[in-house]
Amino acid sequence: MQDEESLVRRAKQRDEEAFTQLYEEYFDKIYRYVTLRVGDRMEAEDITQQVFLNAIKAISSFRWKGVPFSAWLFRIAHNQVVDYLRKKAKRATVVFEESLLTSDDDPQLVFEHKLDIKRLVSATKKLTPAQQEVISLRFAGEMSVARVAEVMGKSEGAVKALQHSAIVALRRVLSVA
Amino acid sequence: MKKSSDFENILDACLERLVKGETVEQCLESYPELAVQLEPLLRTAQAAREVSAILPRAEFKARARYEFRSALQAATTKRRLPLFGLRRGWVMALMIVSILLVSGGGTAAAASNSMPDSRLYPVKLATEQVQLALTPSDMGKARLCTVLADKRIAEIIYMADKGDAQCVEVITQRLDERLTELTMLVSASEAGDTPQVLTEVPAEPPSELPEESTVAPPVPSEEVETVPVPAPVPSDKAIDDSNKGDSNKDDHAKNNNRAKLRVAVAVYAADHPAALRAELRRVPASVRPALRRAISVSEAGYKKALAALD
Repeated sequence: MQDEESLVRRAKQRDEEAFTQLYEEYFDKIYRYVTLRVGDRMEAEDITQQVFLNAIKAISSFRWKGVPFSAWLFRIAHNQVVDYLRKKAKRATVVFEESLLTSDDDPQLVFEHKLDIKRLVSATKKLTPAQQEVISLRFAGEMSVARVAEVMGKSEGAVKALQHSAIVALRRVLSVA
Repeated sequence: MKKSSDFENILDACLERLVKGETVEQCLESYPELAVQLEPLLRTAQAAREVSAILPRAEFKARARYEFRSALQAATTKRRLPLFGLRRGWVMALMIVSILLVSGGGTAAAASNSMPDSRLYPVKLATEQVQLALTPSDMGKARLCTVLADKRIAEIIYMADKGDAQCVEVITQRLDERLTELTMLVSASEAGDTPQVLTEVPAEPPSELPEESTVAPPVPSEEVETVPVPAPVPSDKAIDDSNKGDSNKDDHAKNNNRAKLRVAVAVYAADHPAALRAELRRVPASVRPALRRAISVSEAGYKKALAALD
């Protein structure tokens, strides 16, 4: 990908090609993050789509003041997820299909992965919201601790501590399951 | 407190190493004194990284990409000045159109994004017809046809979401017409047809050109679509000399525009049927036959257009 800062500058001026490149770069990551947070494929699809539509509307207000574009985009996704979870009265249903994985994988491998992912998403649901956020941003969004800190508005030290407690909690839940 | 933050730093450093492809064992070798504490956490983190195998469905990705692009184009169009990039002739023509649309440009602008269930939709269709009529070259018209086909797809998806099969059928018919027109225009352009210059508003009677001058009028480039201003008739030699250079330039511009159009048509040929197929899963059963017809119309239409462009 081209230098992200120049792509963002062009996207702010409604350069379609630049914005599309950013979209392609982040689409899968945002989708994974949202899926892990809401645990429902259909809802994750709607939310992911909405994140990028909101990004188009808001891009003109984005200022590159130390906060990178990825943090800004994930913050939009975070707000969308929080909004969804708030509105959702009952707990989200975990729906997983084989199509979540690449279709050219070995069927046995796909099956095992499916089980792993299902267990993982169910386990993540049992963590505190802050722990869920760290795990989702770090492993689904593939962000560094520094970026996660920017999205969550916390210090890097606080995120590292949260990451530690999240992994410990996740381990406990997974071993019980 | 210090000890715990040290451990958190080490844990994070190991996680980064796992991301870069190192194994748990390699990390543990670096911190043998913490191996007992680190190992279960790193194994759990490794399991958590399985989440990267989650991928969006291909149909969803195609549909989302299509809607993102549509929204982006709509946002871009809104920001552009309406007369941006147009020369005098076009400005004049558009002014006439604006006057003809008695209710003013606001109505036309509002109509441009309207959907078939809107009262402004007929204005949108009429405006498109005017745009087509005023576009001077075949290649320009062909390009506009692709833009209009894109709008029809968005309308089909919108009406399918609303469960209106009859309306989907009607729009599919319009899509078919646009794609057929696209193929015809591309074929005509390939056959060496001279571009039509505002057929409805002739610039100058051709009879004023001397008989020897059988030179076609200059091909307006796609970037600068202007109404040609009649110039004083040059001598035969001057026409011959200048024409050699111009025709090379024109050929280059024409080929370039054709290549650009081909790229656009190829993208739509993949995206449009994919977006419609994705829609099939969402809509009520009553709309599916109409949607299937739209899919086959778009596939066949683009196939023909691409064949004409090749």
